[in-house]
Amino acid sequence: MSILLSGVTKYFGRDLVLDDVSDEVPQGSLTALLGPSGSGKSTLLRIIAGLEPLNKGHIELDGRDVTNVPARDRHIGFCFQDYAPFRQMTVFDNVAYGLKVQRVPKAQMRQEVDDLLHLVRLEAFADRYPRQLSGGQRQRMALARALAIKPDVLLLDEPFAALDAQVRGELRSWVRSLQRDLGVTTILVTHDQAEAMEIADRLVILNEGRIEQAGTPDVMYDKPANDFVQGFLGPITTLNGVACRPHDIELCQPGLGVSATVTDVVRLGFEVRVVVVDSENTSSWVQLTHDEAQRLNLVVGEHVSLRARMSAGVPA
Amino acid sequence: MTRSTLTLRTLVIGYVGLLVGLPLVFVFQQAFIHGLGAFWTAMRDQGMDHAIFLTALVALVAVPLNVIFGVGASLWIVRHPSRFTRVLDTIIDVPLAISPIIVGLVLELVYAQGGWFGSTLAKLGWQIMFSFPGIVMASIFVSLPLVSRQVIPLLRELGDHQEKTASTLGAGPIRIFFTITLRSITWATAYGVSLTLARVIGEYGAVLIVSGNIALVTQTLTLDIGANFDNFNTYQGFVGAVLLALTSIVLLLILGVARHRERKRNEYLA
Repeated sequence: MSILLSGVTKYFGRDLVLDDVSDEVPQGSLTALLGPSGSGKSTLLRIIAGLEPLNKGHIELDGRDVTNVPARDRHIGFCFQDYAPFRQMTVFDNVAYGLKVQRVPKAQMRQEVDDLLHLVRLEAFADRYPRQLSGGQRQRMALARALAIKPDVLLLDEPFAALDAQVRGELRSWVRSLQRDLGVTTILVTHDQAEAMEIADRLVILNEGRIEQAGTPDVMYDKPANDFVQGFLGPITTLNGVACRPHDIELCQPGLGVSATVTDVVRLGFEVRVVVVDSENTSSWVQLTHDEAQRLNLVVGEHVSLRARMSAGVPA
Repeated sequence: MTRSTLTLRTLVIGYVGLLVGLPLVFVFQQAFIHGLGAFWTAMRDQGMDHAIFLTALVALVAVPLNVIFGVGASLWIVRHPSRFTRVLDTIIDVPLAISPIIVGLVLELVYAQGGWFGSTLAKLGWQIMFSFPGIVMASIFVSLPLVSRQVIPLLRELGDHQEKTASTLGAGPIRIFFTITLRSITWATAYGVSLTLARVIGEYGAVLIVSGNIALVTQTLTLDIGANFDNFNTYQGFVGAVLLALTSIVLLLILGVARHRERKRNEYLA
């Protein structure tokens, strides 16, 4: 189901948290709402779910205006950052909640819940309580609970923020493939640009309640609309006073580029960061692969020459 | 055991023993001084029976009303905060700050015949003071905050994410209240109920004023005990005191369980 936001505006007291936000989320896409904390992204997600009223603007689902439809009638699956497990209920009853509300017959409900638990790989935990689950398991339970009502739209608020790095990585790709299989229009909120680029096929970057840019990760990374988007989506440095990506700079023959002096070499496994200062004493850094760095064998104090890579289109 | 732990223990045990233990032992010893038969006979005393009956009846009305009020007010204060609920939040605590005697006197001034509101009620044929409704009112007043003071902090700590999730799953407010909210606050409420019950059956000052202390009519168990001691009917007084003490002990046990459950539950928060 496609989602249309037009002119969504929200105040908390006198604070303007969303300023005339308009966007169209295509059917079946996985959109990441990306932005720093306080940018209004979680508020926007709650407004779409109907959990928060808006002051101006309207929301359409597949052309149907739902601006004044309460959350319970929107048919939108929602997962909070803390997963909000129903603590007094077993995993089974958590997942069954939405089906019980719909008065689905018992046998059918049992079957559907079992299928969902299988889908999220929690079939062995049906009789456990949320407190007996790990963070990743709770997250999957919350997802199954939201999917039980066969929602038209799935909204996930910082779904991986509370998990440790390894579980986060696994769950990310799992959620991605699950979303593709189900084809449910999904919006997830995150402040982690790497996560957004990895998982989403569409990014919406919010800053101070306004959309800075929306589009595919590739386009936004290579053709950022402004400095904010460029800085937010990846590291930036300067070459000859022009902002560019550190991996878009290469070291070349003396005389062909800007001369500079190496001040530090930081080895981060595959990535090696070479920190340099040019003749005007401006600091900059270059991102090399492990192999490149090994070949060049740079040492602190060495004189190098820098230029933009041919592919990058950055003036040198 | 180190010397300091030993000293600490002795101090605590001595303190509690002198203040609570010794008087309690004395009351029980006095009540059973003539044996179980005499105790039983004393319990069958007409005045005491009526007092027990009246106290139970007052509790039966006042406690449920305060539970409904307490849970409702807590939900309102926590889930729909406004300028008004902030005032309510403060007002709820007032009964804890005022002496019960004052509560009784104020109620009498307002509701007695010739009082502000009492004269209007009297014209309608309703007598509030020196009768059952007055005792219930005083009991409700003195125990007003006991449920909400337990429930409000828990509701705050729980947050509203479970309730909001339930609403996205299609549940309406009534279903959410019974399946999510109430189940989360059951033990905190039970704790509040025990405190309220203990306060209601043990109240003396406020009830003394508003009831008129009429034997066999408006005398609750605490008033009956007081009257017995005043009339040098000491043995009868001790029997009543033991009954109150036993009720309190049972309540304390329930409280202990409720608190334990609550603590266990809180470990699962997060």
